[in-house]
Amino acid sequence: MKSFLFLVLFFLLSSCYNDNHTIKIKGSDTEVNLAVLLAERYHLENTSLLVSVSGGGSGLGIASLLNGNADIANSSRSIKYAERALFERKKIAIDSFVFAQDAIAFVVSDKLPIDSISTKTITNILNGNHQNWSSIIPLNQPITIYGRQSNSGTHDYVKSILGIQFSPHAMQMNGNAQIIEALKVDNSGFGYVSAGYVLNGNAAGLKILPVFHEDGNAFSPLDVDAIASGHYFFQRPLYQYYRKKDYQKIKPFLDFEKSETGAKIIQQSGYYPLNK
Amino acid sequence: MDASRREQIDRLNKFLFKSTGLLTITLLGGIFLMLFSNSVLFFLDVSPVDFFTGSQWDPDTKYSFLPLLVSTFLVAVGSMIIAVPLGIFTAAYLSELAPRKVQMILKPIIEMLAAIPSVAIGFLGIVLVGPGLASIFGIQNGLNALNGAILLAVMALPTIVTISEDAINAVPKSHREASLALGANQWETLFRVTIPAASPGLIAAVMLGLGRALGETMTVLMATGNAAAIPEGFLDSVRTITATIAIEMGEVPYQTTHYYALFAIAAFLFLITLVVNFTGEYFANRLRKFHS
Repeated sequence: MKSFLFLVLFFLLSSCYNDNHTIKIKGSDTEVNLAVLLAERYHLENTSLLVSVSGGGSGLGIASLLNGNADIANSSRSIKYAERALFERKKIAIDSFVFAQDAIAFVVSDKLPIDSISTKTITNILNGNHQNWSSIIPLNQPITIYGRQSNSGTHDYVKSILGIQFSPHAMQMNGNAQIIEALKVDNSGFGYVSAGYVLNGNAAGLKILPVFHEDGNAFSPLDVDAIASGHYFFQRPLYQYYRKKDYQKIKPFLDFEKSETGAKIIQQSGYYPLNK
Repeated sequence: MDASRREQIDRLNKFLFKSTGLLTITLLGGIFLMLFSNSVLFFLDVSPVDFFTGSQWDPDTKYSFLPLLVSTFLVAVGSMIIAVPLGIFTAAYLSELAPRKVQMILKPIIEMLAAIPSVAIGFLGIVLVGPGLASIFGIQNGLNALNGAILLAVMALPTIVTISEDAINAVPKSHREASLALGANQWETLFRVTIPAASPGLIAAVMLGLGRALGETMTVLMATGNAAAIPEGFLDSVRTITATIAIEMGEVPYQTTHYYALFAIAAFLFLITLVVNFTGEYFANRLRKFHS
């Protein structure tokens, strides 16, 4: 009995014990796969520093950073004002690191007679001004919007960069994969997903629309050069937040993410390395 | 084994069972407390009037419970409209008409429906029921309340069939014999005597099925589209309370109004399910008293 109690105590203590050889990353489900790949590859080269990754959502990641349960919070959205206030109240200084970029692809069925789209048209569709394709192309079918839930990073980003309120009739799907499934069935749907989800033949039956802003050229979200030069309109940063005092500890991993190997892994996962 | 040792073991067991029982109650109390303390924090930020009126759930600006409530009931009641006749007639067939052999095969199969994971049923909703509804009704997509209702009906069926069957079985044989002796045929006996006599049990079955439908998350999350506006009919996309919590909990900034709002709607769902389940239990108990 006594030894059992000691064992329990040991586990309790060891879970609190914050050593210098482990980096705990928590947060965004969008970024979790990429972070796992990076951590695994990193471990091959540096066995001294252990990187453990778990998902759970951007909100959970930032809350864990606040509670000291994580060293890095992955977040697919920028930190909210209310969250920043919580850190200030606890007097924890934090900083952010953008480790990759995500491009938002606008997707329709390949049966829809449209080849590119302007940011203005996108705005009018998403805010509910255009409810029928007839106001854009000669086709009399209602537009159904397929997007993400209101507090996902993707939704947040599209909303803020276009400065719109989403139409209340927009469908809110649980994840990128479901948006793709829905668009494959709905010939007059209009959806947005992370570009990584429409790579590698995942987009059979779908069309990824090149986007142009005002009088500029249209660029595809799959165009690596356009993204690298910042020409695609909808490219968003993927954040990692950390406590400033931990910087020295996590720096080797952040450096790895910026390295050539890191950039290759990022690209293979369907995201884009940062502009150099 | 001497007596004092046996007494000791008895006392230990008593303590053990008492503590497990208390643990369950503590857990329920803890959940209850957490839901309600967080809800109180929400209502400090948002007035209850705005919460119960209004027409859109758009966190950070509009916290209206109404579309979620309407959606939840639309889907749950819709599923009952499908599942109740189906379930009660299946139960009647199983207990009154089916040959013993068919009964032996059919009953486990119906109970197996309950073993299908909800995410698998939700997936069927996306790839099978949704496109089917779209082509039947000539609409753009089948992610709507009707889709959710059909799937939930399938999920609630095992509950309804099992409890209804028990209720119909429990009707004393003398009722049926009396009816037949008075010259009623088998159908008249079933509809005029057996089913009315079993009605408290049938109501219990419906209530417990409804409780299941109200609390189901994954299936409705996947199959109903989750648009935040108040639905106008079964072919509109809906967004239930459960789906809203599941979809938003992951990304929500902690300890903000939005975070508390999710606890508040969870508390209301808890109350609704509690009432429905109590009603079900009440009728189930009445049935037990009636037949014993």
